[in-house]
Amino acid sequence: MKATLGQALEAYTAAVVRDRAALAPSDDPTGGELGFAALVREQLASTVGALARSESRVVAGLLGKASVQDVVEAVSAAELSLQKFTAVRDRVIAAYQEIMRMPV
Amino acid sequence: MDLDVAMRVASAGMKLQAARLRVVAENLANAESTARTPGGEPYRRKVLEVASRRDRETGALVATIRRWAVDRRELPLRYAPGHPAADAAGYVRFPNVNPLIELMDMREAQRSYEANLNAMQMARTMLQRTLDILR
Repeated sequence: MKATLGQALEAYTAAVVRDRAALAPSDDPTGGELGFAALVREQLASTVGALARSESRVVAGLLGKASVQDVVEAVSAAELSLQKFTAVRDRVIAAYQEIMRMPV
Repeated sequence: MDLDVAMRVASAGMKLQAARLRVVAENLANAESTARTPGGEPYRRKVLEVASRRDRETGALVATIRRWAVDRRELPLRYAPGHPAADAAGYVRFPNVNPLIELMDMREAQRSYEANLNAMQMARTMLQRTLDILR
């Protein structure tokens, strides 16, 4: 294999920088921190927010304060958000493992 | 994201159609609700005035109820001399509810609800199918 680990890491960092620039052009809640941890933190925060929203909506629904439609919408939004998070996490972990397996 | 917004809009549409069904149910149930005294107002048919409102969170236009309006059409007179609300000639003013119209409204609400339900399901399916690529 011609590509070295350093080149692979460089390419990976460049990809992350590019993706993050595309995703969050102006306000960056992680203060410019790069990489997997920041990605996970951001995604996890949004997913936890969606789950909390759906939970409060379910409680309101059971108390008769929210409509069934609201509950269904909030729960499925939270479910999809969680699926999105786990799918991306699995994918990034797989990419890391791929890098780990590279011969140095 | 657009698919999430689509789900929000569809759920608002479903809520609106549920309200519409409630109006139909009220109209049908009160088709015979007369006044207590002669000259009093019987039940009048209710109609929903629908408006589109911009959702603050997502910026999408969602359908909402502007207000519960009252059908101002003429009230039919029915001859019922023994009725407490009968006038001197024996006529009672009855609600201007036509069960046939209400049944059609009910069907329309049902179909519209289903359409919104389908939109919601489709948005969900599209999102899920997209995520399936990563698996």
